[in-house]
Amino acid sequence: MNRAELERECRTYARYLIGQTPSEYVVGKYVDFHGQSKAAAGLAGPAGLDRFDQFLVGVSARGPLWARLADAYASQLRKDSAVRKKLIVTLALLECTPPSSEVLDRVDAGGPLGAVVRLALGGMLYALTLVVSVAIFTPVRLAMAVRLGSRPATRRER
Amino acid sequence: MDPILVVGSGASGVHFALTALRKGRQVTMLDVGHHGPDAVLPGETLNGLKRRLPDPAGYFLGPGFESLVLPGHEGEYYAFPPSKEHVFRPRQEFQVQAEGFSPLFSFAEGGLGEVWTGGCYPFNDGELRAFPFGYRELAPFYAKVAERIGITGASDDLSAVLPLHDGLSEPLKLDRHSALLLETYQGRRDYLKREFGCLMGRARLTVLSRDLGGRKQCTYLGRCLWGCPTQAFYTPSLTLAECRTFAKFQYCAGLYVDHFRMDAQGRVEKVVAYSADGQAHQFAAGSLVLAAGTLSSARIFLESIYQASGKVPELRGVMDNRQILMPFVNLWMLGRPWNPESYQYHQVAMAVQPPGTDECFHGLVTTLKTALIHPLVQTLPFDLGTGVSAFRNVHGALGMVNINFPDHRRDQNYVTLDVSSTPHRLAVHYHPDRAEPEHLKRTVATFRRVLWKLGCFAPARTVHVRPMGASVHYAGTLPMSDKATPLTCSAHCRSHDIENLYFADGSTFPDLPAKNITFSLMANATRIAEEAF
Repeated sequence: MNRAELERECRTYARYLIGQTPSEYVVGKYVDFHGQSKAAAGLAGPAGLDRFDQFLVGVSARGPLWARLADAYASQLRKDSAVRKKLIVTLALLECTPPSSEVLDRVDAGGPLGAVVRLALGGMLYALTLVVSVAIFTPVRLAMAVRLGSRPATRRER
Repeated sequence: MDPILVVGSGASGVHFALTALRKGRQVTMLDVGHHGPDAVLPGETLNGLKRRLPDPAGYFLGPGFESLVLPGHEGEYYAFPPSKEHVFRPRQEFQVQAEGFSPLFSFAEGGLGEVWTGGCYPFNDGELRAFPFGYRELAPFYAKVAERIGITGASDDLSAVLPLHDGLSEPLKLDRHSALLLETYQGRRDYLKREFGCLMGRARLTVLSRDLGGRKQCTYLGRCLWGCPTQAFYTPSLTLAECRTFAKFQYCAGLYVDHFRMDAQGRVEKVVAYSADGQAHQFAAGSLVLAAGTLSSARIFLESIYQASGKVPELRGVMDNRQILMPFVNLWMLGRPWNPESYQYHQVAMAVQPPGTDECFHGLVTTLKTALIHPLVQTLPFDLGTGVSAFRNVHGALGMVNINFPDHRRDQNYVTLDVSSTPHRLAVHYHPDRAEPEHLKRTVATFRRVLWKLGCFAPARTVHVRPMGASVHYAGTLPMSDKATPLTCSAHCRSHDIENLYFADGSTFPDLPAKNITFSLMANATRIAEEAF
């Protein structure tokens, strides 16, 4: 996976998570993570990921909406997936660095009642997104599994 | 006269050494002594640090992202700060195998006390029942340590189980969430006490609410988790620094103590230590004080016995506090702001002694403020976008109770040395009591009900039972005993087997109450130096 693709991922994920474009520092650290960290083993390129993981990462980088769909699917059916790991890396970088850290620390107005309403709405939106994501990604995953059955598995897939 | 040799610079070792030095004794301390980084931008707040550091992610997540917590990890709810990485840096010669136990070791200057959360909880008479002394005998040493290190606390309901000793200073400013918890408790205290035997009050903490010596009072920078940059929060390396101002103190760092040798009379004669290049060093000992921590001291003792006799005893009765982490949401704090510029560890403590039982459980209540949120957000049952949004609404309402359980010496739990491999390995065997699962379940249910009465919801699925060994309150391998039986110690923690050998750490504790042990370790080490030397 080249630098431009990683930068695109990071920008998309930041927009999905906090609604803002990340600083160049965050983007640079995101790229560094994929090159340096032991924890990144297998995340930097297609060779380390299974086909469905690759697919989810590729789709999620298209835009914040796709990132939300891929993440919603992974949150229930692929919890340790690459896309979720990459999103966590992005979140960790955003929380260490202003101004994104300030966005994450900001409390919305409205007090306890406002918080309850927002939590309820968030929960409903999540449920809807999950249904849509399952409808989209489950056929893809099944199709890949069927195709996988007709050819030798890669080391990662085994 | 040969000096007193002290092994280890943790909480026990430094308070023993300082007391002996103040009595005019000559002390040599042998220690591996891994050293941590210097504090960066000491006057800056946490958010100021994020703004001013050239590489904030390197500081908070580590240069190689070591503190990043990714999905799939099995561990705690928080990331370990890179600035404290040196505390658990291993030493190659030290090998351990453990069954039913996940021990932690430190070879750092200041030992495991460099990563403690500062809780200073004296044992009361009931908890000292198995000890050869009571609270009255230990109280002067609690006070002496309190005056040295600075402890904040208050006279409140908790004083019924946490004796009030001299040397306490006024507590720090409460954060909003902790204040609300105590306020709610005050409104329901009679009911909570009657139904659950629950008492709450201010935590006893080793952080300065007023200047002490050269140390300045807490200025609420909010950086506690990454290491207090102003020394307002106490760690044993501060006492080590004080020891180093004495002419009669010699600190020999970089040395791993392997064993001691005995003379024909069975007294410790020399201590053998190795530097990192494998070179052996020998130190003559008038008296030897092992303060390397219960398990490391056990290893040195066992290796020495093996070298002298070819035999490997089993040190029975090793203990540790089981801990359970119980996250909760305070419903009254939902959507409320929180202040990052506040003290970050627990400010409130609780004691629960369910009616009809004689055991007391100790809970440390920490409200969430500046801990990194990415390890927590990923545990929420949502996608991360929803999780981040939800987290902003509940951040100020989140807290965690760390419940401590007591432990007692049981013969089936022991420490020995595996000499079948080189280097020899410390072997720890631990089996919880059969009744433990039911016991934990009941206690967790009680704490959840208490929290509910305080307006807090503790989701069952987020309760985390920490593995044995995680609390690092190890004790009981060479207990104090009135009878001079082998593998025990006198009331002054002198070995009944070897005349000039002392244990100043938790090795000698014959019982382990449900409390942080560190304050009692420091007080006991001070007592030994004061009364036996």
